[in-house]
Amino acid sequence: MSAIVLVGLTGCRHGSNNSGSGGGDKEQGGTLTILAASSLIDAFGELGKTFEKQNEGVEVKQSFESSSTLLTQIQQGASADVFASAAQEEMNTAVKDGLVAGKPEVFVKNCEIIMVPNDNPADITEFRDVADPGVKLALAQKDVPAADYAIEILGKANAQYGSDFKEDVLSNVVSREADVRASVNRVVVGDADATFGYKSDYTIDIRDRVKVISIPPDLNIIATYPIAALKDAEDPELAKKWVELVTSKEGQRVLKKLNFEPAA
Amino acid sequence: MKERSKEDSSPRTFPRGDTLASGLAVAALALVAGFISLPILSLVVWTISEDSWRAMVSPVARDALFLSMRTTAISMFIIVLIGTPAAYVLARMNFRGKRLVDALVDIPAVLPPSAAGIALLLAFGRFGLVGRYFDAFGVTISFTTAAVVMAEIFVAAHFYVRQASIGFARVRRDVEEAAMVDGAGRFSVFTRVTIPLAFPALVAGAVTAWARALGEFGGTVIFAGSFRGITQTIPLAIFAEFQGDIDAAVALSVLVLGFAFVVILAVRYLTARSTQYQE
Repeated sequence: MSAIVLVGLTGCRHGSNNSGSGGGDKEQGGTLTILAASSLIDAFGELGKTFEKQNEGVEVKQSFESSSTLLTQIQQGASADVFASAAQEEMNTAVKDGLVAGKPEVFVKNCEIIMVPNDNPADITEFRDVADPGVKLALAQKDVPAADYAIEILGKANAQYGSDFKEDVLSNVVSREADVRASVNRVVVGDADATFGYKSDYTIDIRDRVKVISIPPDLNIIATYPIAALKDAEDPELAKKWVELVTSKEGQRVLKKLNFEPAA
Repeated sequence: MKERSKEDSSPRTFPRGDTLASGLAVAALALVAGFISLPILSLVVWTISEDSWRAMVSPVARDALFLSMRTTAISMFIIVLIGTPAAYVLARMNFRGKRLVDALVDIPAVLPPSAAGIALLLAFGRFGLVGRYFDAFGVTISFTTAAVVMAEIFVAAHFYVRQASIGFARVRRDVEEAAMVDGAGRFSVFTRVTIPLAFPALVAGAVTAWARALGEFGGTVIFAGSFRGITQTIPLAIFAEFQGDIDAAVALSVLVLGFAFVVILAVRYLTARSTQYQE
């Protein structure tokens, strides 16, 4: 899915800003490669266009996958300039492995929600209903932050709903998906009865097909998203600029518009 | 080379060019063999140096292997059962729209499996064209082992049906007709004459189809989902492990390599014996 969107983004670029380098003073173009958690696909897609407008001749390439997959790719020597993770854990590992330049910065926060198809076949009206027998639950796979957060939420919920709650919910899982957007799509096409996703995954495109069941705030988690330039960045200057854009007022405005919580 | 006339192409006249050409051909073969064996060797080297053998006997690996064995066996059973008569019809009979059916059979071979997965989902998923009626009867296919088998059959059936129909087409009609003159019925001619004569083609087709089913990934991950023991076949398990534990992903790859190797060797051995028996 991410590949399709990526193609779409670069496709859009052409008409809009290849206006030639007539007035370009010191910008000499180049490519900025960003590896970002799949929940950032819409926000970074939009900011990518802004960045290209601000930096004449620069091409922004982005790859959206689960933070754990991206970490593996970076560890295996994928050449990229910036890493934006949906959880501290992946970033911490990247730092520990000496793959990151400078200090990671938390740029945004998120929380989780339950999503169900509009016709709600399993009749889920509140959070605890996901434990009902027979609910078909899709979940991102092991080590994907969205799934780890979901497990954390279920652990907390055990204290309120009884010690079998987490186990009951997990026994409803019918599929473990590659990343959070894939598991949300299971609900969008209607094959799964419910899934855990981020609040920001409830995008405009899917609002007519998906309903949100909120998770009680005392059980919910706060996902913190760190971003950092990578040590092997081909263009550290551009990488720094991207981090600045994401943490700037404009970056925060776009993220907030897409249902993320401000970092501070 | 270009000035030389086309008619005069007997090999004897250009001994030098000939050695050069055969030398290049041998080099090409070495390149192919090297290109295939190097990655395979790397898998084994990694497994030995990282000592990741343990991952092969992990519950994830065991479940994935058993599921792959089970689903590909069921798929092959269905493909051979239905594909054999279907291939015979394609080879022997003429009917309106045959060209269309012929082309249709080839589509899954050129369609990317992920596209096949989406297509299956839209047909048999809960809100699918057909799936919605199944759902009304309480039958859901997505997220079940049946969905894995369907994805495998969809992408693999072509390889058996195509090769089998070529094999049947090569069986001479007069041999079949002679048997019928001798009083054999159509069905017994088919099972006792046509099938044995086309047998090598059937086996070759079945092996290719099985290999394709074993490697099926895109269709399964999209249509069936991924869940240990239910829908997570070896290719899906490799992909899932790659996100976290690369040692386990490598071990699974070696495991499936070994499994495929054993099956291919066994088929070679058995077909060699059965053709000997026929002659």
